[in-house]
Amino acid sequence: MTNHLGDIQNSKAIIIFGANPAVNHPVGFKHILKAKERNNAVLIVVDPRYTKTAAKADLYVRIRPGTDIPFMYGMLHLIFKYGWEDEEYIKNRVFRMDYIKKEAKKWTPEKVADVTGVPTDVLIQVTRAYASNKPGTLLWAMGLTQHSIGSSNTRMAPILQLALGNMGKFGGGCNILRGHDNVQGATDMCCLSHSLPGYYGLSEGSWKYFAHNWGVDFKWLQNRFATPKMMHTKGFTLSKWWQGVLQEEKIYQPTPIKALWVQGNGITSVAQTAKVQQALDKLDLLVVAEPFANEAAVITNKTDNVYILPTTTQFEDEGSVTATNRTAQWRSKVIDPLYESKTDEEIMFTFAKKFGFYDEFVRGMMMGVRNGKAVKVKDTFKWPEDATREIARIIKTIGLTGWTPERLKKHQENWHMFDEVTLKGIGPMKGEYYGLPWPCWTEYHSGSPVLYNIGIPVMEGGMGFRARFGTEYEGENLLAGPFATIKGAKVKGGYPELTKENIEKVLGIKIPAREKAIMGKNWKVDLSGLIAKYALQAGVAPYGNAKARAYVWTFPDKIPMHREPLHTPRYDLAKIYPTYPDKKDQYRVDTKFISIQKKDWAKDFPIILTTGRLVMYSGAGLIERNSKYLAALEPEMFADINPALAYKYGIRDGDMIWIHSPEGAKIKVKARFTYSVSPDRIFLPFHFAGIMEGKNMSKNYPEGLIPYAIGESGNTVANYGYDIVTQIPETKAGLVRIEKA
Amino acid sequence: MYEYARMKFYCDEDRCIDCHGCEVACSDANELPVGIHRRKVITLNEGIEGKEFSVSIACMHCTDAPCFQVCPVECFYIREDGIVLHDKDKCIGCGYCLYACPFGAPQFPRDGAFGIRGVMDKCTMCAGGPAPTFSIKERELYGQNRIAEGKVPMCAAICSTNALIVGDAAHVAAIKRARDAAKGKGAMTPYGWDQAYK
Repeated sequence: MTNHLGDIQNSKAIIIFGANPAVNHPVGFKHILKAKERNNAVLIVVDPRYTKTAAKADLYVRIRPGTDIPFMYGMLHLIFKYGWEDEEYIKNRVFRMDYIKKEAKKWTPEKVADVTGVPTDVLIQVTRAYASNKPGTLLWAMGLTQHSIGSSNTRMAPILQLALGNMGKFGGGCNILRGHDNVQGATDMCCLSHSLPGYYGLSEGSWKYFAHNWGVDFKWLQNRFATPKMMHTKGFTLSKWWQGVLQEEKIYQPTPIKALWVQGNGITSVAQTAKVQQALDKLDLLVVAEPFANEAAVITNKTDNVYILPTTTQFEDEGSVTATNRTAQWRSKVIDPLYESKTDEEIMFTFAKKFGFYDEFVRGMMMGVRNGKAVKVKDTFKWPEDATREIARIIKTIGLTGWTPERLKKHQENWHMFDEVTLKGIGPMKGEYYGLPWPCWTEYHSGSPVLYNIGIPVMEGGMGFRARFGTEYEGENLLAGPFATIKGAKVKGGYPELTKENIEKVLGIKIPAREKAIMGKNWKVDLSGLIAKYALQAGVAPYGNAKARAYVWTFPDKIPMHREPLHTPRYDLAKIYPTYPDKKDQYRVDTKFISIQKKDWAKDFPIILTTGRLVMYSGAGLIERNSKYLAALEPEMFADINPALAYKYGIRDGDMIWIHSPEGAKIKVKARFTYSVSPDRIFLPFHFAGIMEGKNMSKNYPEGLIPYAIGESGNTVANYGYDIVTQIPETKAGLVRIEKA
Repeated sequence: MYEYARMKFYCDEDRCIDCHGCEVACSDANELPVGIHRRKVITLNEGIEGKEFSVSIACMHCTDAPCFQVCPVECFYIREDGIVLHDKDKCIGCGYCLYACPFGAPQFPRDGAFGIRGVMDKCTMCAGGPAPTFSIKERELYGQNRIAEGKVPMCAAICSTNALIVGDAAHVAAIKRARDAAKGKGAMTPYGWDQAYK
């Protein structure tokens, strides 16, 4: 999220692609309603389904799932045609927008209408409304990301914003709504298989930086891997870990996955639940650590070596969490852990002790910085404060240096002293933004509420785009133009990211030799904090000021290109806009693209499937289905179906139906009539579990722990299909066939 | 000048997003049996483009309450602040009040006349009932008495978009007027977050 929820109140136009905040972010949605109320903002909702959010929209666009790129190119076609783009902004702050312009020229309203199903007059009306009301903000969530072209979708949306000059503006930006408590924090800590915490990657330099900060020997870390190469190899993802067990597609590690540890994850929340079940059955060992019985232990037929460890809830533990807008919030413990449940960290510490690396595991919390080096400064640690200090000490990439436990606690205690629209503190909190939104460069920095805003000084949260990819490409300058000077900066226009080597030249200063001696190689690993200090003194952000790249030479598609979903209802279009070639060794497993799409699935599976959430449940519904009042609101799994479609199959409202996926999986659910879906598609919520392909698995729950509501997992029939870069599953655009049960 | 507040609910259809937060908060706070809806969000024209809207409805605590008028055993009473309550010890569960009520507020527990929630159950605006304030009997028969604690009723306290507001009619009207006056005037929050949720 480049801006924050309160800032949406500054927007004059709000366009939402594949997000349903009225359902998934009800409290955050208030800011959107206030923007409408107080700012006369135009609310535009682009969604395959008429959602609760759409019910509050001024303009609603019923789009065919998986065609967001053509729709946005259609908007850009009109924007460039009528000169609605921000030329000066593009010239100074965007790299190779001309490539986008060229592609957009092809996407005439008629062509867009054919591909997306959106009438030309609606496209024109929406584009005009969005381009003529500035600042405009663009929101998205899983509806944009969970596609085989999800990564391209997430590039297309910022490009639209860049063309209009909406990035780095109050009331503008790309506001990506995170779906759960602390998901942003989990992402920032890279609880993922492809990077070290703070997006440091897996290179040797990164590992060495972390080894130094954890007070452990690099060789020792390396020896914990089977081979040194494994240390730098991405692991399996949540989307396709099951292939590591089943090996139906080729895997790239010496042995299959034999044991699975699930802690804090609803395993039925990604596609292919039937495959997940098969993989669980085949494991040697399954451990789930959750406050509620995780579905992983329920949907499996495994009868031995399944362990359920009770963990505490957020009320029984303390520490910082990160909100969707990059702000930290300190959370206090309300009660001691109930019964035999243990906190997450206690389980992890016990695990580390048992496996003999406890000392190395916790040493980082006892370290501090002396003369630019991380050294052990004490013999004990205090949870969670010292963990927070460790994070602040190490993570420079996204600027967590300022997140000391003392500051975060002060914000928690004084939260009434901040303004919701600007996040600005008043009284004792003056000069800081609520939750110190990252980047918070130093312990005296304010935090940055709106990313890439060159209109305010760096000390008040200003910055340009990060200069991450060098200073030039194919002879073209990648740094920001002369008119993109950050307010109050001593350096005019663009400049490269700061290193020990270039800092004096870039900032035009002289640094004493004793300081240079303790300075880190570059701003990302400078434990001394001197680079940040001198950067802030010069009014510049340590990470440089570059152009945003509309053209990315390292991606499979240099500019976002439309590619039909793997299972497309428009086989004719798959010929024109084919998907990618199959990909070898994608997160240690082969992934199919074109070999799926080359078949015309729509012949046998003519109905589009899209999935989403309901207001009373979140994720796999582990927690909420255990609440009788929430479960009573939607006690049964269902499929939303248009009466006109149902009629074709002799289905009446409330009838049980079978839904079949191209992979051969099926679920039995109740049909629910609604006009929110058009007759070519159905909608499934994905919160249910406990019934697998018609079979009730509830005997697998520990005694007395069957939730009030169980049901088929919608993801059992979510199709095969994964993003080319991230491997996120394509749950939002699939095909199914239905029949009356 | 008036001596007492006149308590009223107001639900803004432009803000209500059918999240059911008020319903669940009410049921949970007052430990209602599942199926008793002191408050319910009603959505009309669900899924129909441009026509769908939602509103949260409970007992509206009418000034001239029809339930009060028709009750054969006169179990209803109206407090000085306008909150309409009833005495479950007097109520016979006949359902006349349901005939009279324009909002479908009266609820009838399935566990019979002598179950934990008694005969007829309805929104108390979180003001308890005729049993002694904060007594176990009041808690079990009528639910929380947040008004006596100086707190806002649970439903409005939890409302995610502040569509639902409750309080002295003059205050409710003032909030609504302020919202109407703010329309089209741009973002504004001169105070801290305790004011922001207005």
